[in-house]
Formats: sequence, C-alpha cells, structure tokens
Amino acid sequence: MMENRSFDHMLGGLMKKYPKINGLTGNESNPDMNGTMVPVQPNAKFQGQLDHDPDHHFPGVDLQIFGGTPPRPGRVANMQGFIKSYATQGTGINASHAIMSYFPPERLPVLTRLATEYAVFNGWFSSIPGPTICNRAFAHYGTSFGNVDMNLFYIQDPIQSIYERMVQAGHTAKIYYYDQQSSTMEIVNLLKNQPRIFGSYSQFIGDCKGNTLPEYSFIEPCYNDHPGPGGGQILASDQHPDHNVQEGERFIANTYNAIRTKQELWETTAMLVVYDEHGGIYDHVVPPACEADGKSAPADKTGTAAPFNFDRLGVRVPAILVSPYIPRGTVVPGTEDPNGRIFEHACIPGTVTNFFLKNYDQRTSREKNSNNFLAPLTDILRPDDDCWVFDV
Amino acid sequence: MEKKYKLVAKVPKTPKSAYDHGRFISSLIEHQIKHFHEIEKLLLKPGQELTDITKIKTELQASEYLKKMTALLHPQGAEKPRRVAPPRKTRKRAKAAKSKGKGKTKSRRGKRKSR
Repeated sequence: MMENRSFDHMLGGLMKKYPKINGLTGNESNPDMNGTMVPVQPNAKFQGQLDHDPDHHFPGVDLQIFGGTPPRPGRVANMQGFIKSYATQGTGINASHAIMSYFPPERLPVLTRLATEYAVFNGWFSSIPGPTICNRAFAHYGTSFGNVDMNLFYIQDPIQSIYERMVQAGHTAKIYYYDQQSSTMEIVNLLKNQPRIFGSYSQFIGDCKGNTLPEYSFIEPCYNDHPGPGGGQILASDQHPDHNVQEGERFIANTYNAIRTKQELWETTAMLVVYDEHGGIYDHVVPPACEADGKSAPADKTGTAAPFNFDRLGVRVPAILVSPYIPRGTVVPGTEDPNGRIFEHACIPGTVTNFFLKNYDQRTSREKNSNNFLAPLTDILRPDDDCWVFDV
Repeated sequence: MEKKYKLVAKVPKTPKSAYDHGRFISSLIEHQIKHFHEIEKLLLKPGQELTDITKIKTELQASEYLKKMTALLHPQGAEKPRRVAPPRKTRKRAKAAKSKGKGKTKSRRGKRKSR
C-alpha cells in the first residue's frame, strides 16, 4: 500500500491511448482563488512540486469534493475545491495550480505498465474522505472504528485485524515493514501485541526467494529518508509528497520482480498495488455513496460542523491487480459504467477473509458485502514470455 | 537475474539528489511517532526517561526514534549483516591452500548496497 496520490495524478494520462481507463480528457479544471479556471496539466514532477504537503484531513477533503459548499442536506459533490484547498495552505496562486498536475504515462514506466499489462480498477476509492491512518485501518480491519483522523485508536471492539483472523484460523499472514528505521504505520498496537506477524522488507525478499511467503502479505514502503547499513542511503519509497515518486516506482518494481522471477510464486500469487488516499491531489470522479459501517464521527471530530456516518467514500486512488491469470489490458469498470463495481479498502480484508476463511462473521457488514477484488482472475495462465520483468 | 526473460523494461534510477534526511517530518511521520510514543509510555520502567518527541524535527531524527522503538518491539526485524562470498581468485587460492593442507582463509565482508 502506497501513500497519497490520486488516480488521475498517476494514471489519468492513460485514457488517451486506453479509452476504457476512466482518466483525463485534458478538459477537466478547477477554479483558482481568482476564479480563473485552471485545467489539468501533464506536468507532474517526481519531487519538489508538492513540497507543501497538500491538505488531506477531513475538512480539507470536504472542501475539495464539494467546492466549499458547507454540509447541508442535498448538497452536490463537484470536485471543484482542489485548488482552493491547496491555496488556503499559503502556497500562492501559481503554486496552488500544481494540485491539478498529472504524470504523462511514460514518466511512470512501472505503474503504467502494470496497469496496462494486468488489471486496473476504474472505481477504487479511499474508504474515508480523510487522511492516512483511518484509511489504512480499513485495509487492516475493514473499519476505522468511527475515526476520521490521524489519532491512534484503542480498539475495544470484537473486530480483529485480517492478520489475527488468518493466524487464529491456522493460516499464515504477515505485515512486512520496510526496515526498523521506517517501521510500520498505523498498527503499532499490533506490533506491540503480535510481533510474530511482522517482518522486514528484506525478509519479504528472502521469503520470496525461499518460497516461504505467507498466504497473505501486506507490504509497507519506506516512509522516510535515512542512512542505510554500511553508509548507504535509504530513500523513502512511499511516494508521499514530497518524497521522490521514482523511488516508489523502483520499490513497486522490486516487489513485483521478487514474485515474478520465482515461477512457483508467480503462478500462485496475486499482487494488489493500491494507494491509501489521494493526498489532496485532484481526481475528477465524484466519490460514490457506500454502505455505512454502523459508526458515526461527531461534528467536533470531522471539523466540518456536521457528523459523518461513513456512508460515502473518499477520493479515488490507483489500484492495480497483477497476476499471470489476468488478460492483458483488463479494465474493471467503476462509476462511469452502469454495471461497474465499486472498491474501497474494506475490500482487502473482505476478499482475503472470504477467500481463506469463508464464513467469518466478526466483521462489519460493509466489509462482508464488499466487492471481491480477485474477480479479474481467469482460469487461463498467460505464457511466461508474455509477462514483463523490470530491470531495476 | 539468472533466467533470461523476453520482455524486460528498464526502470530509471532515482537521482542521488532526492535524498534528504534533514527534511522536516510530514504530519504523517509526526503521527507515526506519536503512536510509538504512546507505546513507549506503556513500556516505560521505573527510572527510565521518556523520549522527548517534541525534539524530533527531521526524518533522520524520526528514523532513529522509530528504530529504537521497533527494535524494542520487534528485534527480529533487525538487518542481519550479510556474509559475502570472497572474490573468485581468493576462493581459488583458498581451495588450493586447503588441498595443500595450509589451513583456512579468512572470510571477507563486502560493503552492502542499501538502495
């Protein structure tokens, strides 16, 4: 799971060549603080353009989605508040336009190749219109336990993480953090209480080589720049602004290669590349409604003067499923198609639980009813010569 | 990569200038530290001093604190020093020496690439 980039920012440029991908026509725009309409631009930079971390806390995302209309019954989402939101952070008029930037596909050779070689989801959204911690909670627990912010929550709920569920049922599961200097994000309670379900990225690589990968693995990128062993330099690979996007590409490529180059693993593994939330960066698709998960965040927690009932999703994020059982160029339709399917991070524990544990009830009904992200898999194995390897 | 693959895509290197461990921490890392600090409070033994996390301003400082806490909670995640095979010439000499009964050669450790 990567950090803080929207679908259009990373993959929107693919629509020109691949019209089924719900990306950018080039005519999408947002008003700036002067009221000038600013179109999307294929001028995203790897680093240095979003050094002022764009706001992605709940009130900021509310502004981005609703264009500044305060919460009231019947208000309509228009995705017109992205520049306004960025401008309120003291970026200046011109710098605030950077929030509309996107990458030309050739600038992201790893992500765009995986998206076009395997399956890309047109309709995968962050679970909450808010920041990292609560969104990542959905990937681990299928719920954020009523939280919409970055606070550490103390779980007093019968809902267990997907890893605990797996291990208790006699299956294997592991969270691989990058290294001790980067560590894990959001689930420090698990690190304290269940250290056996953790490993490092170098252990992940070793487990791939030794064909000892658990049945379910969650892989975390490096979250900070720090010295490496022997005097080297470890770069953050999470792609969180303003970390270098290229290093994230290399991380994804290395992870893919570790599976791809081990034949037994390649033929039995599905790899999902997904981003936790959009990081305040523009996307043109209005987030749809979703099944509420029975929780409510009060107005003083949302910061918008209105409570949030977890009944609509956050901004759309890149999501790609990789497997040799997926036909090249698979596009899973989203909200643009009447028969499209909606995905969000509760689909992760939802799909894994349904796949390994079948009838498991101690989870939210939202997770239980979530769409199966393994649906693009077929029975036909692509020839080995038909699948790429990265030279990293 | 031992096996030859038909379809190989080159991935560009990240420029060295991208590295900056003096970068101020983001809100995300700040919260990650706060979460670990809550755990630190729970684990604190009498006489031990709690880390003053308000002094953590840069990614380097954050990484040092995270390493300290993670090593405490999950020592199994420590990087193990790798044993690197000696160069071929040394191996040949060692083999020759062994066959002549001259004893063992010392193993050498190479520098690790860390990117």
